Amino acid sequence: MTRTELKLEDETFLTDDFLRQLINVGEVDILVGLPTHNNAKTVGSVVDTIRNGILRGFPRERAVIINADRGSRDGTPELVTSISIDDARPASNLYALRTLHSISTTCANGPGSGVALRTIMAAAELLRAKACIVMSPESASLQPQWISNLLDPIYRGGFDLVAPTYRRHKFDGLVMTNLLYPMVRALYGLRIREPYMPEFGFSGRFGSQFLGQNGWNDGNSSAGVELRFTLAAITGGYGICQSFLGEKDHTERRAADLVPALRQTVGALFSALEPDFSVWSTVAGSKPVPTTGSEQEFLLEPTRVNRKRLREMFSTGVAELQSVFQAILSPSTLAELQRIARLGDEEFRYPAELWVRTVYEFAASYQKSVISRDHIIQALAPLFRGRVFTFLSENRAGSANDVESNIEVLCLEFERLKPYLLQMWKSRE
Amino acid sequence: MPLNKDALWYKDAIIYQVHVRTFHDSNGDGIGDFQGLEQKLDYLQELGINAIWLMPFFPSPLRDDGYDIADYNTVHPSYGTLEDFRKLLESAHERGIRVIIEMVLNHTSDQHPWFQEARSSQNNPRRDWYVWSDTDNLYKGARIIFLDTEKSNWAWDPISKSYYWHRFFSHQPDLNYDNPAVRVQMWNLMKFWLEMGVDAFRLDAVPYLVEREGTNCENLPETHNYLKELRRKLDEHFTDRMLLAEANQWPADLRPYFGDGDEFHMAFHFPLMPRMFMGLKLEDRKPITEILQQTPEIPPSCQWSLFLRNHDELTLEMVTDMERDYMYDMYAASKTMRLNLGIRRRLAPLLNNDRRRIELMNGMLMSLPGTPIIYYGDEIGMGDNILLGDRNGVRTPMQWSGGWNAGFSIAEPQRLYAPLIQDPVYGYPAVNVISQRESEHSLLRWMQRIITARRSNGVFGRGSIEFLYPANHRILAYLRRLGKETVLVVNNLSSTAQAVELDLRRYKGNILIEMFGNNIFPRVGDMPYLLTLGPYQFYWFRLRRV
Repeated sequence: MTRTELKLEDETFLTDDFLRQLINVGEVDILVGLPTHNNAKTVGSVVDTIRNGILRGFPRERAVIINADRGSRDGTPELVTSISIDDARPASNLYALRTLHSISTTCANGPGSGVALRTIMAAAELLRAKACIVMSPESASLQPQWISNLLDPIYRGGFDLVAPTYRRHKFDGLVMTNLLYPMVRALYGLRIREPYMPEFGFSGRFGSQFLGQNGWNDGNSSAGVELRFTLAAITGGYGICQSFLGEKDHTERRAADLVPALRQTVGALFSALEPDFSVWSTVAGSKPVPTTGSEQEFLLEPTRVNRKRLREMFSTGVAELQSVFQAILSPSTLAELQRIARLGDEEFRYPAELWVRTVYEFAASYQKSVISRDHIIQALAPLFRGRVFTFLSENRAGSANDVESNIEVLCLEFERLKPYLLQMWKSRE
Repeated sequence: MPLNKDALWYKDAIIYQVHVRTFHDSNGDGIGDFQGLEQKLDYLQELGINAIWLMPFFPSPLRDDGYDIADYNTVHPSYGTLEDFRKLLESAHERGIRVIIEMVLNHTSDQHPWFQEARSSQNNPRRDWYVWSDTDNLYKGARIIFLDTEKSNWAWDPISKSYYWHRFFSHQPDLNYDNPAVRVQMWNLMKFWLEMGVDAFRLDAVPYLVEREGTNCENLPETHNYLKELRRKLDEHFTDRMLLAEANQWPADLRPYFGDGDEFHMAFHFPLMPRMFMGLKLEDRKPITEILQQTPEIPPSCQWSLFLRNHDELTLEMVTDMERDYMYDMYAASKTMRLNLGIRRRLAPLLNNDRRRIELMNGMLMSLPGTPIIYYGDEIGMGDNILLGDRNGVRTPMQWSGGWNAGFSIAEPQRLYAPLIQDPVYGYPAVNVISQRESEHSLLRWMQRIITARRSNGVFGRGSIEFLYPANHRILAYLRRLGKETVLVVNNLSSTAQAVELDLRRYKGNILIEMFGNNIFPRVGDMPYLLTLGPYQFYWFRLRRV
């Protein structure tokens, strides 16, 4: 049985109604995917902006907006489909050269956007889309230009993956700045600022390849697929670039959101290390990727963060999870963590080297499954809060350059200690 | 075959547009003539058309292919005599073919005696037959139409030392329709030809007859008043004659030319034509349905005139800037192919000589509401010569055979009024009437069949149209209805095979009969009617309750 036949068989997860809609859409040049779940508050303006972006940047191209909805009950799909441009419902205030389909399908609910992305990629393959982007339905700061910024490098530039860069508050995206970006950079050798991409673009050929190779039906398939997509592009040797989009709106997160977020991101990264070992184990140093616009910009407005609470959660966690940490961490690392956990707010500091060793030891333990993998990810949460406390302290008064320098120092530390990870990886084998 | 005496004959007509000069040369001087055209009437009858539209054949310096008329009362000597024209008219009528001729109301040639008199002195009685001014600052709101050649609508006359108004070339001064003498004279000229037996006039450039300060000098009420005056006189004196308006305008601006059925009988639907090409290239019906949605209802006695190509450039005046750029990029990649705001190419080269696309476009031409016009040579897929100046590249001699001068003339080749198309693809050895007559599957034979199919059912000329809007936007589907007769037309604008579901539930119980092969298709039921169409395929179905 050929790979193509296998894939077609897999695609039976698409409903008959959705297939009928895809037949009506036909072959497209551009596909915009929009995974949603109860996003009625924001999705109307998002799809409107997407439509404007298509009409401005790609007026001649055959385009479609595909909404993969995870069972919204607030009318989200209806808002998405209402922005279609067709001759049956002509819009007097809008001029478009050709029809623009905006269609929706309901896909299974579950953690993360994996099923939705799978649906979008399957549709992209069936419609033979040349360039695709996936947009966040919550992006209040979305501008029409973002559509071109993500599509152009693929449609006209020949790249296979476009990762976004943003203007963010310096304390926004802390998992990204303190773990994902530096670790992916150190292990996989490419300086991709947002490897877990809220918005991204990809070529039809790469999407098709990923659709066929990703283990969609294993238990982890839904979690962190955006990150695994990035890693697949790197390991597959696809052309990757970054494109600056603009200011990314800040999303308020509750403390309780951290563990699910770590599952989605760090869990996905740790899971990928084993199959990708042959790739990352041979990489030394890191290279920049072609970037259109700024690589990263920081907003410096004062922001209120309860640092004291972060440190308390760190100390409590180190104390309460000692037995768990004994299974995960080396004695020296655990001892050092226990030492700093006893320090007061003023003296407390979770240095970069200790943080990198911690993360690497967690990664190695995850690979070995010394305890339940999910428990490993949960155990990382209090330690991450301690690291965040230090990051906030070090950068509280820092300029954009200072913040960038500190992130760069951390990245270099991840790169410098990579042999330590390899050593643990091999010894545990 | 007798003439169709129905006063609404133009609704059922299929018009063939031809320039006498281009069709057939009977006397070997290298220029087509009336006798030559008359000799080819059997061919036109065999093709199935029932009206010919002759481009201007009046005496003229021919600086605008005859649209610069120097004498309205006779014919250009190159084409024969007035008697030759009379004979052509009779012969056409004997074959049931109506004859439409040109009447250029807006302007004359600067060689016309009227203008020569008018410019001779400011006191000449004919002075006021044209529009004069001491300044070129009047009527600044009027656009310049021939952008590639003209910088102003005013031209300086060194003889009478003043400016004269011209909307087209500077050698075509506009007549002054504020002068009652001009109005009377132009009707008298029309009457002269109508009394001879001419069936209809294509009235050239009608939006521009009257000028008023502070306007764009187009479609003015005074212009409509005069056109209504002409129609009134026509109806007073004749019973089954027709006026066809050439007004390159948006549908809403065109609508007044029909009046309440008391102005023009017919008008060209200019905005539709480029959108048919656009829809084909986009593989999307939207441009076509949108312009037809914007097309207002017209009085019952009136009719749109539809065409794919004609003697002019494929005009892109009635499209947006974005659409124009798209059309240029898709259909006129070489700047040599562009002229004014248009593309000076024939149908077959525009469609890359793709037989399926040529057939689809003709299929739409024949089935959309209106009277179709076929430009001479397009029925055999003639090519063009973009190296010839102005619009002459689409006005080359008709290709009758693969022999001497393509069977057009026995003259020495260098004496032909224009060089023959000789390239390997479109040249006369490859594309000609005789060889296509021999082949049952030629474009010519196919054109005969579709014309027969069109004429077999009055629904196309007189019926209403209702668009179906299947979710597949590559499919253009519509119902044509007249009385109890209903025809379903389904066009696939795509280069790939398509499936489409049509909502025909209200015709539940009907069977579909495909009109070219008379084959029966499944009965319409409660479910959407599923059809599959090959690339650029189209169907015409009669709906029958059995």
